[in-house]
Amino acid sequence: MLEFKLPDVGEGMHEGEIIQWLIKEGDAVTQDQPIVEVQTDKVNAELTAPAAGVVKKIFFSEGDIVEVGTTIFTIQVENGMPAPETDMGEEEIQAAQSGDVKVNAGHITSKPHLEAVRVLATPFVRQMAREMKIDIEQVKGSGPAGRITESDLKQFKENHSITRENVYNNDNKILQDKATMKNADRAKRLENEWEERILLKGIRKKIAEHMVKSVSTIPHVTHVDELEMDRLKEFKNQLKAYSDVKDIKLTFLPFFVKAIVIALKEFKTLNASIDEKTNEIILKNYYHIGIATNTKEGLIVPVIKHADQKTIFQLADEIRKLATQAREGKLSIDQITGSTFTISNVGPIGGLHATPIINYPEAAILALHKMEHRMVVRDLEGVIRLMMNMSLSFDHRLIDGVTAVHFTNRIKELLENPIRLVVEMR
Amino acid sequence: MVVGEVAVETDIIIMGGGPGGYAAAIRLGQLGKSVVLVERDRLGGVCLNRGCIPSKALIHAANQYQRLNDLGKMGIRLSQERTTMDLGIWQDWKEGITSQLNQGIAHLCKENGVTVVKGQATFLSDDRIGVETDGDFETYKFEQAIIATGSRPYIPSFIKVDGEYILDSTASLLLQEVPSSLSIIGGGYIGIELGMAFAKLGTKVTIIEMASRILPQVAENLVKEVTRNAKKLGMNIKTSSKVEKASVVDGHVHLQISSKKQGSEVVVSEKTLVTIGRIPNTEEIGLNRAGVTVGEKGYIAVDMECRTNVPHIFAIGDITPGPALAHRASKQGIVAAEVIGGLPSAIDSPYVPYVIFSEPQIAGVGLSREEAEQQGYSVKTGKFPFSANGRALAMDETEGFAEVIVDAESHILLGMHMVCADASNLIGEGVLALELAARVEDIALSVHPHPTLAEGWMEAAEAVLGHAIHIVNK
Repeated sequence: MLEFKLPDVGEGMHEGEIIQWLIKEGDAVTQDQPIVEVQTDKVNAELTAPAAGVVKKIFFSEGDIVEVGTTIFTIQVENGMPAPETDMGEEEIQAAQSGDVKVNAGHITSKPHLEAVRVLATPFVRQMAREMKIDIEQVKGSGPAGRITESDLKQFKENHSITRENVYNNDNKILQDKATMKNADRAKRLENEWEERILLKGIRKKIAEHMVKSVSTIPHVTHVDELEMDRLKEFKNQLKAYSDVKDIKLTFLPFFVKAIVIALKEFKTLNASIDEKTNEIILKNYYHIGIATNTKEGLIVPVIKHADQKTIFQLADEIRKLATQAREGKLSIDQITGSTFTISNVGPIGGLHATPIINYPEAAILALHKMEHRMVVRDLEGVIRLMMNMSLSFDHRLIDGVTAVHFTNRIKELLENPIRLVVEMR
Repeated sequence: MVVGEVAVETDIIIMGGGPGGYAAAIRLGQLGKSVVLVERDRLGGVCLNRGCIPSKALIHAANQYQRLNDLGKMGIRLSQERTTMDLGIWQDWKEGITSQLNQGIAHLCKENGVTVVKGQATFLSDDRIGVETDGDFETYKFEQAIIATGSRPYIPSFIKVDGEYILDSTASLLLQEVPSSLSIIGGGYIGIELGMAFAKLGTKVTIIEMASRILPQVAENLVKEVTRNAKKLGMNIKTSSKVEKASVVDGHVHLQISSKKQGSEVVVSEKTLVTIGRIPNTEEIGLNRAGVTVGEKGYIAVDMECRTNVPHIFAIGDITPGPALAHRASKQGIVAAEVIGGLPSAIDSPYVPYVIFSEPQIAGVGLSREEAEQQGYSVKTGKFPFSANGRALAMDETEGFAEVIVDAESHILLGMHMVCADASNLIGEGVLALELAARVEDIALSVHPHPTLAEGWMEAAEAVLGHAIHIVNK
């Protein structure tokens, strides 16, 4: 029997949500056949069968949250039991038969035998885990050097039953799971209350964790400035005929990306991060720009890799493709990781300014706000201009206020004078 | 089988009454099951009757015999008469030990309601076995079965064990006289244990080993003292050597040996002992009729609950892959019994200690330094030589050392090994430490009784931490 444990398909993910089973118990499967779709760290992953055989047992339902390392299904492999290990190697037997003399084959070995792996827990705690029907390999130890204690087991059991309670299904309707009194009680209690409780899970939970980590680690400071967009708009309009021919929908975003990349090259600490473990500042000479994108699942940040090496049209094309994939939930891990600086474009929705939260472990994030005609003063006269605010949150450990202002000034300079942007582009 | 035969019904059949089988039987009896234990020979199996116990009785006698030579320096004067060894009397003494143990097991089986049947058991189907006893044939119907048929010495086809000139380990323990010369094919633990014992009794021993050193499966640093002692005992060790041919000529065994270094030569000895491994007894017990799958090399694969591919049939001991050690068989027997009894039992630890009754003894549990490094650990080790231990000096047993292997990051113990007098008794501390996932500090901070050899563990643990008291810390 082969146990399939939920692997870490992302970078250090801890849990995933079972989106869809593609097989059912009793189905015969071939090796590498897709078995289950799992929503992991902001992407969907399709997990495949590690070996051919018959699916014996499925342990979780669609919508369940499962910790990495938990057995999610078992396969009875085709050949039955695994090939036996033996201490008298074939070679030794043959050697002996042909007159070669070898040692007392394998009756003493300092190697642990292969049935069991070491778990940092005393024999009694291991026995207790079996009694509690807990796979001890899934339990994280809180004892010295990660030893699993009796209270860890109790804790695990408690948490596990909460996770498995499955209070809501995908439509946020109360699941009338009468299987246990606990569930029934809880459902009843919820009905009587003027509030709705939704288990914090999936992407929303990921976002929550990420935000907490970011804000609790990075001292955020936000600096706001405004841009005059008339010339850029005109410039973009002039390009329209050309972009129509190329069948590319040109937005402002590729121009922003370009201007930001130029500024990042000049202000290196804004394209950086701090490695807290080694106490080092990492200055990055590559420019992977994350574009925060709103999807029905929540905020997702696809990444444009090597944005400095791409033309405006290439950027436009890539942004459109990534946004579509994000909305369809089809981004791969690779497409949402590795950004060095993030742009949050909230303009289409509205708003004046904000304090965007830095995409940890980056050094800064730039939010672009609504573009609108405003009365502004130019040469001591009130005039109407197409204006847009931008809010830059930056890591104050790494970046001083002055640097941040110089950085936005540079962006402002480039975007307000598209000719300069063009001549400085590489 | 005859039509209309009546099968005796029982909850559980156990095939084999060795240390695995009888432990399972007693545990099942405790759990209130009806058990039939079938043994073709004597209860206690190889371990009690032909292995562990008799060989240790021989080793102990040989140690006592040899010890007499060293008593002079302690002021003990023996009479002038030459010390002699009467192996015939030793046989009676040994028989007394094994009989007492046999009877003890029989008594425990009886008290726990286990029915012991003497005979040869074979599966007839997946719920029946037949037992042949002196021409009678009885069938038993079972709910569950435990196969515990053990192993036997492996003898290559070009050698014929005759029990007189060419011996297997069993026959060597039945000798009535100490042979003047003995060649041993195989320098594994059985060959070394018996070889050293006979050498102490005055036999001229030659070990022929194909690997480049004796005890090749034990970490090299642990074997050095033993190799040195073997030479001191006058043993002739031929490593990287193959036996090409064995023949008996004029009452002596002629072994034709070849090695790359020495070329071809003939070793002549009074007797030859073949100890090159053991093979599982799985051929003639009708496993195919029960549907139990046997691997290519005759081993039965089992899961952590000791279940075979047939869920109600279990297998334990030497017939399962892993080291052929009695304590492993016993543990598996108890686990299988408890699983059958509905208890949540499993083989849940990789730690099976090993003990070699060489001179000095070697014992260990867990990973060697090399194994730990191969598994990716960053390793720290601490070593304490017994030449710096008061008790060892007072016992005139100063050879060897204790060594602890530790994960440098967490200080969790990964392995504990020792070479010294009584290492076999001292390794218990290592087993417990690893099972409890102890850190090296746990050993270092525990007060060890003085003066004892067990202090060696404490000092080795302190050495890892850089503050052993009785050696210079480097």
